[in-house]
Amino acid sequence: MKENLKVVGHDAVRLDIVEKVLGAAEYTDDIAFGPNLLHMAILGSPYAHAEILSIDTSEAKKLPGVKAVITGEDYPEKFGLYLKDKSIFPVDRVRQVGEQVAGVVATSYEIARNATKLIKVEYKELPVILDPYDSIAEGAILIHPDLGNYVIEPWLEAQPGTNIGHLRRIRKGDIDKGFAEAETIVEGEYHIPHVAHTCIETHISVSKFSLDGRLTMWNSTQSPHTQRNIMAVALGMNHKDVRVIAPPIGGGFGGKAGISMEVMAAAGAKSCPGHPVKLRWTREEEFYNSSQRTGLRNKVKIGFKKNGKIIAFKHEMFWDVGASAEYGSNVVNATGFSATGPYYIPNVYIDSKACYTNNPTCSAYRGFGYSEFSFGIESTMDKAAKIMGIDAVELRRINAIKEGEGVAYDVPMNPNGLIECIDKVAEEIGWGIEEKSDDPNKIIAKGFASVWKAPAMPANESSSAFIKFSEDGSINVMVSGMELGQGLLTVMGKIAAEVLGLTLDKVRVELPDTDRNPYEWQTVASHVTWSCGNAVKRAAIDAKDKILDTVQRAHFIDKSQLYLEDNGVKCTTQDSFYIPFSDFVITGIQTEHNTWVGGPILGSGMFMPEYTNAMVDPKTGLGGHPMVHYTVGAGAVKVEIDKETGRMKVLKMAEAFDLGKAINPDLSKDQINGGFVQGLGTAMWEQCIFDEKGKMLNDGFTDYKIPTIVDVPRDMNPILVEVPQPDGPYGARGHSEHTMIPVMPAIANAVANGLSVRIVDVPVTAEKIAMRMNDPKYKEEM
Amino acid sequence: MDNFRYIKPSTVDEAISSKREYGKKANFLLGGTDLFIAMDKGVITPEVVIDLKGIKTLKYLEEKDGAIFIGAAVTWTELIESEIIKKMVPALWEAADLVASVGVRNTATLVGNLCNAVPSLESGAPLYVRDAVVFLEGKDGKREVSVKDFFTGVKRTVLKDDELMTGLKIPVVKEFGEVYIKMGRYEGEDLAQAGVSVFVDKNNNYKISLSAVAVTPVRATKAEDFLKGKKLTDELAAEAAELALEAIAPISDIRSSKEYRIHMCRIMVKRGLIASVSRMETGVPALSTRLI
Amino acid sequence: MNHILKFNLNGEAVEVAVKSNEKLLDVLRDKLGAVSAKFGCGVAECGACTVLIDDLSVRSCITFAVEVEGKSVVTLEGLQADGPTKIQKAFIKHNAFQCGFCAPGFIMSATELISKNPSPNEEEMRHALAGNLCRCTGYQNIVDAMNEVAEDNKGGVK
Repeated sequence: MKENLKVVGHDAVRLDIVEKVLGAAEYTDDIAFGPNLLHMAILGSPYAHAEILSIDTSEAKKLPGVKAVITGEDYPEKFGLYLKDKSIFPVDRVRQVGEQVAGVVATSYEIARNATKLIKVEYKELPVILDPYDSIAEGAILIHPDLGNYVIEPWLEAQPGTNIGHLRRIRKGDIDKGFAEAETIVEGEYHIPHVAHTCIETHISVSKFSLDGRLTMWNSTQSPHTQRNIMAVALGMNHKDVRVIAPPIGGGFGGKAGISMEVMAAAGAKSCPGHPVKLRWTREEEFYNSSQRTGLRNKVKIGFKKNGKIIAFKHEMFWDVGASAEYGSNVVNATGFSATGPYYIPNVYIDSKACYTNNPTCSAYRGFGYSEFSFGIESTMDKAAKIMGIDAVELRRINAIKEGEGVAYDVPMNPNGLIECIDKVAEEIGWGIEEKSDDPNKIIAKGFASVWKAPAMPANESSSAFIKFSEDGSINVMVSGMELGQGLLTVMGKIAAEVLGLTLDKVRVELPDTDRNPYEWQTVASHVTWSCGNAVKRAAIDAKDKILDTVQRAHFIDKSQLYLEDNGVKCTTQDSFYIPFSDFVITGIQTEHNTWVGGPILGSGMFMPEYTNAMVDPKTGLGGHPMVHYTVGAGAVKVEIDKETGRMKVLKMAEAFDLGKAINPDLSKDQINGGFVQGLGTAMWEQCIFDEKGKMLNDGFTDYKIPTIVDVPRDMNPILVEVPQPDGPYGARGHSEHTMIPVMPAIANAVANGLSVRIVDVPVTAEKIAMRMNDPKYKEEM
Repeated sequence: MDNFRYIKPSTVDEAISSKREYGKKANFLLGGTDLFIAMDKGVITPEVVIDLKGIKTLKYLEEKDGAIFIGAAVTWTELIESEIIKKMVPALWEAADLVASVGVRNTATLVGNLCNAVPSLESGAPLYVRDAVVFLEGKDGKREVSVKDFFTGVKRTVLKDDELMTGLKIPVVKEFGEVYIKMGRYEGEDLAQAGVSVFVDKNNNYKISLSAVAVTPVRATKAEDFLKGKKLTDELAAEAAELALEAIAPISDIRSSKEYRIHMCRIMVKRGLIASVSRMETGVPALSTRLI
Repeated sequence: MNHILKFNLNGEAVEVAVKSNEKLLDVLRDKLGAVSAKFGCGVAECGACTVLIDDLSVRSCITFAVEVEGKSVVTLEGLQADGPTKIQKAFIKHNAFQCGFCAPGFIMSATELISKNPSPNEEEMRHALAGNLCRCTGYQNIVDAMNEVAEDNKGGVK
């Protein structure tokens, strides 16, 4: 049955564009906090791994204007989202360069910064580990010797006595038998370095302990309720006395998920009650002490039958999670379940290990590990295609997982349009059509990848929503899903408008304030369209029921003959019947007896999946239902490479994702364009570079190059595929992270296709292409 | 950064006498795009900043007496918008258009770029192949220095403590072709990992300069001598490019390896030679065409 | 050193006490309430702090406040004194921004471009905007909006 939808599925000007274009959007640093605002600066460790022997803050405290100097002695608490291995300020040792050793609160940032220079810290250097292979090597120093005593989520498998913060295993079928039956076996080893989110707005928190002991935080965050929870628990406060307000944010990409530097601001505020205390990261601090994307060393081994079907798949992933696994452990977990790619495979062996290193802490980053592991899988698939003489795109089709087939942990795959995505991308990029460059120095090549991702969430993640009407029939939708720029406000607004028969100009969606907006787990995982969308839809249906009840009681027309349209109530059996919402949604409807029926209309709704189970068998990964559903897609690039210089230009891109139902088709395509470009950055130019002592050498845009408007393809082709998600609002599921995932492998595959050189370590720079083009070590036969 | 005394003189003499008064404790300010950042990072900590933007005599851009004269206060944007520069010093024009971004080019100056003297400076190679001359002025009066003698090392020049650069001149040449090629990591804003400028005139005099691949910009004199008087062919261009590599001593850093810099310089010199000759003869390739 | 800085901000004469080492960006934001220019990097590499000084786009994060003595400074707040500009309307129509943090910088740079070159071709336009970084959009809608403005301006600014 096809729904006749009025706003869902149609393009619209996004609800928040006007405030952003007029400069009216007030980001956290724009808010005027008044004359008693104090400023905080942090002293970071110069060492990647060292014991803290002593900290002398006496000189710093004497500097005029300094209100407080705090260290781990004042705030020794540990915290963490999934694994409490992070310190507000460490007491015993530092584990990454730049880790906060002390904080100063002062009347100006300049004074606070100058005071940090007066703090004397004595360190004893410890051996530094910067690579996951070194982390697990025999005799490696333990970065977290107390791992066995940390509070951790029950679905994590920490390995105390090692540097492995979590281990996720999949053992499906019989891997040895599978490889024995394989007719072609292809292997590869890959390396993904750390990259950075580089939100244009750096992390910022303004925290205030009021004189009566309430904590209020204005944070640039994706996760206000999760932050409130962590702060309340860490500080031993009642949740109702902690308030997190989320002003508009300048980008998230996972970097503002969970909690990081905000705990320091709260600690600074606790030491100066009555004052708002602002901590704003410099760009350098944003690079090295917020969070980065996990690094990965992985080994892929795939066994194929002659017809190209995968019979056996082995994937060993050694994740560099950095100094803390409090969030990275879930990256390791989620990828452990899914690091097969979107293929049906009967025999699967996966080992996914969270390896502590002394690199900066890694947490959520768009794609949540899937970009990293897909590089190796899709590169290996292309290699295999060449070896077997099967077309690379055809190889994906042959193995594409169908609805109902078991994923790596044997749960049936949801409905999906993977074949349609593959076909549409192949067609758009002109797959199989060879193209020549006008320039004799250059060649044109194409590269392809197919991918998937599921939201990586606790089994009991949830969303909730309130809708309240006002006198003029307009609504405020209160959610704690966060607008990151991805279009959340517009999606939620449209869902509410669709159910309630409202025009979009009657709808506002409010940014989170944990005092007023109801609970949302976090805005991560590309799940809020689905989860918060369901909650909003239920809240709208709740409000709709109350509206229809009111009209039924007042007008004696059965609700089954009433419907909502054009900002009011209409009747199927009476064309002229129309009551605008503005007549009654606050005041109720006056009856012939001059009594009133109804009252203020409120809707409330909640969504939590009740079929997910994260408690799998730790030895096999089987026996649970850890992921809700997968979104599938494909991507391809057409590149032009100068054969002498190695310099590569992406001429065209095509990406298709099955998002079930595009609530905002135009904004969904914008997510593909934006994600592609962010992926392009990691594919061609971005990496965090460290010296041998763990200090980041490129903590600025001078040497951490993100794509500018001249570096992106001029021909961008985002394609939407819609195979409905049965439990999604109007059939929708998320896709915003996914749009990054195909890019690294598509680029490497294009280079291999064009020049027969296989690059296994991103970024695929011009230098690598030029210097390896003629090196037999990197040759891949056509 | 620490507070400082801000002075804005109206004449060059006032500027010089202020600089004499404070010596090493004072720095000159024009666009500030280098100075400001160095001060903000604490690399330098002047007690006095002498803003030269109030000195009207430093703002000039004109052609006269067989040369193009550019004053210290002329910004990169003003160079780009100048028909004189575009027509008469096209390699410098190309370099100007590749400096940083519009928002920086609007205030940063060519003279500031020279005085900051980083090896990757965009102005180096184009001025070297045109034998530009810079004007220095200090307590002992004015002097002219060939740009090739101006740099003495990384961020080191012949400027005396009391001197400032008031401008420069570039001899006008007729019937020539020239090009500037900048190697960055991508097409967006980047510091040059290598820079090449090539000049040729109708008498087959060639000038080749490379920057960012030695402690100062260099002229590839061996390559120039090899080509002198010869009509360029692809083979000669390749041979000259090979000889040009003898003039450079690149390093490996986080931006690029030594090997790739050498690899690229070879290509940039060869393509630069071919493009310069082509420009002289036919006017193509158009300015700002990416040759690498 | 302390100064009483006098300049024109968004069409109004303003006077504010500043020290020599104060940045224009901080003075605009923290002392004068003009918060549209943003802190993104502090070293003129992202463009988020862009304002117009005497009609030229300038990175206010590396400008000393004292340098604008006697000058005319325009921020996004002042750009739309007569309502949203043609550029702003195009950006709204094309959903040009997502998180919006880079928007003020882009709008100031785009405004300068169009005032100098009302009908740039696409490559000229991209070149002029290459100093403004955006992490969200991939730039496509910004390009579409600016192409529309350029097209509309053909044959003179209306």
